[in-house]
Amino acid sequence: MEGLGQVSATLSLPATFLAAAPPWQDPELFFSLLMAGLATGSIYGLVALGIVLIYRSTDVLNFAQGEMALFVTFVGWSLVLALGAGGANYWLIFFILLVLAGAMGAFVERTVIRPVEKAPVLNAVIVTLGLFVIFRGLTAFIWAQGELPKGFPATPLGSHLEPVSAWFNHDLWGFARITQHQFVVIVITAAVMVALYLLFSHTKLGLAMRATAQNPLASRLMGINVGRMLMLGWALATMVGAVGGILVAPILSLDLVTMLRVILFAFAAAVLGGLDSPPGAIVGGVIIGVVQNLASTYSFGPVFFGPELSLPFALLVLGLMLLIRPTGIFGRRAVRRV
Amino acid sequence: MLGIDWFWTVILMAVAASGAVRYLPILPERWRVPASVAVMLAFICWMPFTIGTFDTSLLTKAAAWTIVAIGLNILTGYNGQISLGHGAFVLIGAYTAAILTDSKEHLSFIDQAAWPFWAATIMGGLVAAAAGLAVGIPALRLSGPYLAVATLGLVLALPSVLTKYDGFTGGRLGIRRVPKPPVPGFLEDWAQAFGGDLSRDQWFFFLALFAAVAMTALAFYIVRSRWGRAFVAVRDSEVAAAAVGMNVARTKVTAFTISAFYAGIAGAIFLFTFQGSISPETIGIILSITFFTAIVIGGLGSIMGAIIGGFVVVFLPDLATDAATSIFGEQQGKQLWPTVYGIVLIGVIILMPHGVAGFLHRLARLRPAQVADAARGLPAALRSRLGQTLERLSWGGKDTGRP
Repeated sequence: MEGLGQVSATLSLPATFLAAAPPWQDPELFFSLLMAGLATGSIYGLVALGIVLIYRSTDVLNFAQGEMALFVTFVGWSLVLALGAGGANYWLIFFILLVLAGAMGAFVERTVIRPVEKAPVLNAVIVTLGLFVIFRGLTAFIWAQGELPKGFPATPLGSHLEPVSAWFNHDLWGFARITQHQFVVIVITAAVMVALYLLFSHTKLGLAMRATAQNPLASRLMGINVGRMLMLGWALATMVGAVGGILVAPILSLDLVTMLRVILFAFAAAVLGGLDSPPGAIVGGVIIGVVQNLASTYSFGPVFFGPELSLPFALLVLGLMLLIRPTGIFGRRAVRRV
Repeated sequence: MLGIDWFWTVILMAVAASGAVRYLPILPERWRVPASVAVMLAFICWMPFTIGTFDTSLLTKAAAWTIVAIGLNILTGYNGQISLGHGAFVLIGAYTAAILTDSKEHLSFIDQAAWPFWAATIMGGLVAAAAGLAVGIPALRLSGPYLAVATLGLVLALPSVLTKYDGFTGGRLGIRRVPKPPVPGFLEDWAQAFGGDLSRDQWFFFLALFAAVAMTALAFYIVRSRWGRAFVAVRDSEVAAAAVGMNVARTKVTAFTISAFYAGIAGAIFLFTFQGSISPETIGIILSITFFTAIVIGGLGSIMGAIIGGFVVVFLPDLATDAATSIFGEQQGKQLWPTVYGIVLIGVIILMPHGVAGFLHRLARLRPAQVADAARGLPAALRSRLGQTLERLSWGGKDTGRP
């Protein structure tokens, strides 16, 4: 009778139970959580953006996105140890890492993605799963044998410890309680979005890349070097993902599971926003980050829906939204050809 | 490169013998397939008496994962729906079986006695099938990568749910010490009549083998039945299937349910013959994704491929470790095996786009004349292939042969 008794005991508890004070009693907590969710969500969004860029151009779901970013971030850590991370050095390292990430993405596309391009669709998934294992193994082999880094430097723009309110001396409703680094993350994500927008809609290269994603055959007939565009797409996506890795490392501290935590939510974000929509990736990331942050502090409803269930709850929300919009919020409906 | 031990020798012998029976003109045409299956089974039944306890238990695990792979292949290979979350159904089947046979009487309100293991196994499959039905209906709205990620969410979410409702499930620790089925008396008598005795591990192996063979036979029946043809028709074109009056939605949900049933049975078999305990972490996201990898490597849309896939799940990591240690030395090989594993995965899928089963199928269709032709053309083909590869690897070179 033990099992049955437990269930009925759970049901008979009071219907609402909040772990933290509700938002209307403590708006400052609510808004600071909201901002922190925005920062986390931006990182999910950046990694999701990489996934979306690759899916759009090559129809491949890149499971290795997070591990490639992790590899680049670990290279960054080695560079930080060698060069130091003060001021200009940080941006030098940042630049080196971007170049490295781009080269890695292009190399991967050329060597292992292209051979499976004409094979059955699921083969490419296996290749990215293989890449996942390879990069993970390499990272563990090169860096995780000795002592793992305790911390990864934040950008020189803002400290990782001090809150934003240290800049303004004013904390409007708790908005400014997040750390400066989290604020910088939001700004950099916005900057990346603007840069990509300019690239895709105001340059010839971006036009060619969009054309390739939409219709490779026609683009080819128009004289676009399709292969190079796909390679560039992978390079760009890996760079965006690497930015996500570099920005998340100061928050989550760099170790082998850092990106595992991020990549799952990034996939959820990409799917939520629509796998072929770059703005959708960021929006999806922000939604997931905010919901996750709020759900881990506030627990709604009866006890059996408590904070331990914040992950299933977030996934349930994702599932329900997918049922309403099966191709994500901004995703194009698949056209069925008869 | 690899030291081939006795285990692999026996496997190779089995494959060679059954292949010979199947393809060499020894027997009349209609006897070849059943005879080769019989030869293979005979070798497999002999294996636990010669390869040692550890390898036997690995084979037991492989038999359980073969069942999952067959079910998943019915869903993905035959029906075209991707699931990365079949680990969730395996977990559900295993938990159901564990709860039903638990000595601590978690479910004593159903009746006062623990269920026999075979009934618990079937019940595990049925409960998993019910879960598959519940997931399959909403899954109708999703397709391709969206479905893949959504099912991934399933296997992520289930452990925290199981931990939370610990009244039934024992929470984080799970259910320990599930009573493993005892060796039945008549088998012991048989073994003694042949002058040996049957250890527990051998009995577990035969139990798992029996389940795997039965489920394989069922799968062969399903894919050749009306249902199986419906699955393939819906996979190839939903519009065409609907146009000839098939109920697409019902077909897809049926495939999902059957596939979850297989996963549930496999979970219970895994519990009873290998693991002996179950906790939310027993079957994680990695294993769940590995099931999917296994069927693609084995060969989609082929029962044989799924069987190969079940072996791949269990033995490829070990083989990769062996290869890594023999290439990079003991210390570094242990660290580098995931990398070798990944390289093997990518290599296999590039060289065999239709999986190992597809590759073998083509190999078996080769005629001596074709081989001779290919051998004659080989130098030229290699040269042009090398040229293509160089061109492909040359950065920003001329764009070749893309759509």
